[in-house]
Amino acid sequence: MALRIASAADGVAERMAEAIRAALPGAAVEVAPRGPGHFEVSVAAEAFRGRDRVHQHRMVYAALAPLLTGDAPPVHAIDRLSTSVPEG
Amino acid sequence: MLDEATRQRIDRTITSDRVVLFMKGNRQSPQCGFSATVVQILDELVPDYTTVDVLADPAIREGIKAYSSWPTIPQLYVGGEFVGGCDIVRELYGNGELHEKLGVAVPERRAPTLHVTPAAAGFLREAIAKSGGQALHLRIDRGFQNRAYLGPPEPGEIEATALGVTFRVDLATAQRAEGVRIDYVETEHGHDLAIENPNAPVPVRQLDPKELQRLLDERVSLHFFDVRTAEEAAIARIPGARLVDAEVAAEIERLPRDAMLVFHCHHGGRSQQAAEHFRGLGFRNVHNLVGGIDAWSQQVDPSVPRY
Repeated sequence: MALRIASAADGVAERMAEAIRAALPGAAVEVAPRGPGHFEVSVAAEAFRGRDRVHQHRMVYAALAPLLTGDAPPVHAIDRLSTSVPEG
Repeated sequence: MLDEATRQRIDRTITSDRVVLFMKGNRQSPQCGFSATVVQILDELVPDYTTVDVLADPAIREGIKAYSSWPTIPQLYVGGEFVGGCDIVRELYGNGELHEKLGVAVPERRAPTLHVTPAAAGFLREAIAKSGGQALHLRIDRGFQNRAYLGPPEPGEIEATALGVTFRVDLATAQRAEGVRIDYVETEHGHDLAIENPNAPVPVRQLDPKELQRLLDERVSLHFFDVRTAEEAAIARIPGARLVDAEVAAEIERLPRDAMLVFHCHHGGRSQQAAEHFRGLGFRNVHNLVGGIDAWSQQVDPSVPRY
């Protein structure tokens, strides 16, 4: 079995995904670390239906706000955020 | 978070121009990749827009985030309305919605015809296979500089396939890439892709002093500019050449793109740069006086002082 070395980024990515799922129940969330403090986030959520892209992104940012603010926020930048409505 | 004074300043700023970008750095030198991406997109679409450097203004930097309910920079406003940050701008650019917002004609979404030599196709197929699921992108910027690179797919890209190699191009590149020929050649620095673009503007042409004298004598219709400093012009001038300041530069920008432009300086270096600048703006008949006023003095008119 391969040895998995946990990094700080893993913990932050998990916290980000949990924060988004808590705000948008049932959302499919992927958070990929892209360097120290940098992440790519993609979210598919039913709650996005009928909302424009700006509104969708605001909903995700609102969920992440506690991790993005403060003197030394664990999340420095969201390199890419993509939002979508689940198909079907 | 957002005091009344800052709110009012932002109110005024976003209505001060049709297009306002809050960014890190400025249009000429963006200080972060996301800001640079939005600048690049806006540069494609509109000649003028206002940028606000949030790094130079901490109140605006924090204030705009609260004002827009948007936690990141850059932020684009059009007609006083919040449009989005980098991801959204990129997406709207890809699907043509940004063109509509800015009142620019939406280019046709058509895959360009690319010509790829077997050598280039072999090299690229192997690079893609080794990349672990990356896509191949081709970008041709406003100055017709080419870039081929591997990376994740971008929203709104158009696919163009030649010899089994799929290139992903953005809307602007699609317009510029029609008929491009891509080869794989040996250069001084090893093998590399060579991209030939039949749509690239003609290069700046070099005029020697005698030729310029003939054109001036024959009263050929041309616009002749001196890009030296006023101090240098006080020492020596070529009759008929206008000194270029910001006002004259703006005047040149308004000329028809097929107007004949001739630039000179002291030795031909600064004027070459000026000529390249205007060529980059789409001028197709741009000339540089080789050797500058110094060569003019030696070859045409010795009464012009050398310095």
